Amino acid sequence: MTISLAVPDILVARAKSGDLEALEALYRAFETPVYNLALRMLRRPEDAEDVLQETFLEVVKSITQYRGEGHLWGWIRRIAASKALMRIRGERVRAAEEFDEETASAPETRHGGTTGGVPARIDLERAFERLSATSRAVVWLHDVEGYTHEEIAESMSKTVSFSKSQLARAHARLRRMLDDEGAVR
Amino acid sequence: MMHCTMDDLLALRAGEASVWAREHARVCGACGAELEALYQRVAQLRALPLRRPARDRWPIVRAAVAARRRRRRERWGIWSLAAAAAVAALVVFRPFWTGQIAGAELARVKQESATLEQQLRRYDPEGRVTSGREAALAAALEDGIAVIDGELAHVGPLDPQADRAALVELWQQRVDLMQQLVSVRVTRATYVGL
Repeated sequence: MTISLAVPDILVARAKSGDLEALEALYRAFETPVYNLALRMLRRPEDAEDVLQETFLEVVKSITQYRGEGHLWGWIRRIAASKALMRIRGERVRAAEEFDEETASAPETRHGGTTGGVPARIDLERAFERLSATSRAVVWLHDVEGYTHEEIAESMSKTVSFSKSQLARAHARLRRMLDDEGAVR
Repeated sequence: MMHCTMDDLLALRAGEASVWAREHARVCGACGAELEALYQRVAQLRALPLRRPARDRWPIVRAAVAARRRRRRERWGIWSLAAAAAVAALVVFRPFWTGQIAGAELARVKQESATLEQQLRRYDPEGRVTSGREAALAAALEDGIAVIDGELAHVGPLDPQADRAALVELWQQRVDLMQQLVSVRVTRATYVGL
């Protein structure tokens, strides 16, 4: 499902001048994509709502710094991704996720191996949610939002190799969880 | 028979695969199927349904914006009064200060201010994402600096000796605020890495 992310220039200009109605219009226009980005990366709806709120506090504060270079959604998405990644760095998310990642990961990355005891037929959305927060972030930013590995590495203060290996590891895990031949349609 | 790894498949998708991987994927049915499955997984991820937040967070954002604006106006008032008091002190007490403040002191605080300016530029706040609390604190400090800059622009035409004493006082206030601003920026850059 896609939604339109185009907003009139006049609306952006009014928002830059501090017009609360225009700022609310921007909020309404980008509420759903920001929430979805955060939800896919963080999994918990309450965390995603917090990121939505933090993102728009930042948008309202910094909208004057948006110079119209590139799409407004790209600028807002960068803020939202940064807020979500900050949460992933937080101990609360990491502690809950690392166990999940460790218990389900297996050394095999070449296809044709075992399924590692993971249920074979679960849908993609559930399988994606079972990835670690870092893996979800890399997969979502790269495969859905179109970030390059260089952009992901910069956002996460990591190396390009880290981003690439996280993506490969995540896809290997997804493949195992979905039991490719049967579940991927 | 050796098959493609997930790294190979991702490299194939990105058009960056080795010659061996390209050739192997072309002739190996299993690896071709794996590559196709990878494309399908990504397409399915992109097609996941959009979720909507259960609660409307705009009222909270709007309230925070209103509170920030109100605090900003109040701080402007306080800083304006402080700056006006500094100028008044200059006018009233300048005879006592005349000749007592060395030009070296003025040069010192100006140099200190310039050093802090350079330090701030290195941390480029416009390129960083900040928390609401940090942003409010930084905005208040910047407002204070802006008010002092305005006052500094006004004390120029006064008597050179009294002028120097007041200038030192104002420049010192400016340095104090800038030190706090640097602390806010540098601490965040160091600990958060943004």
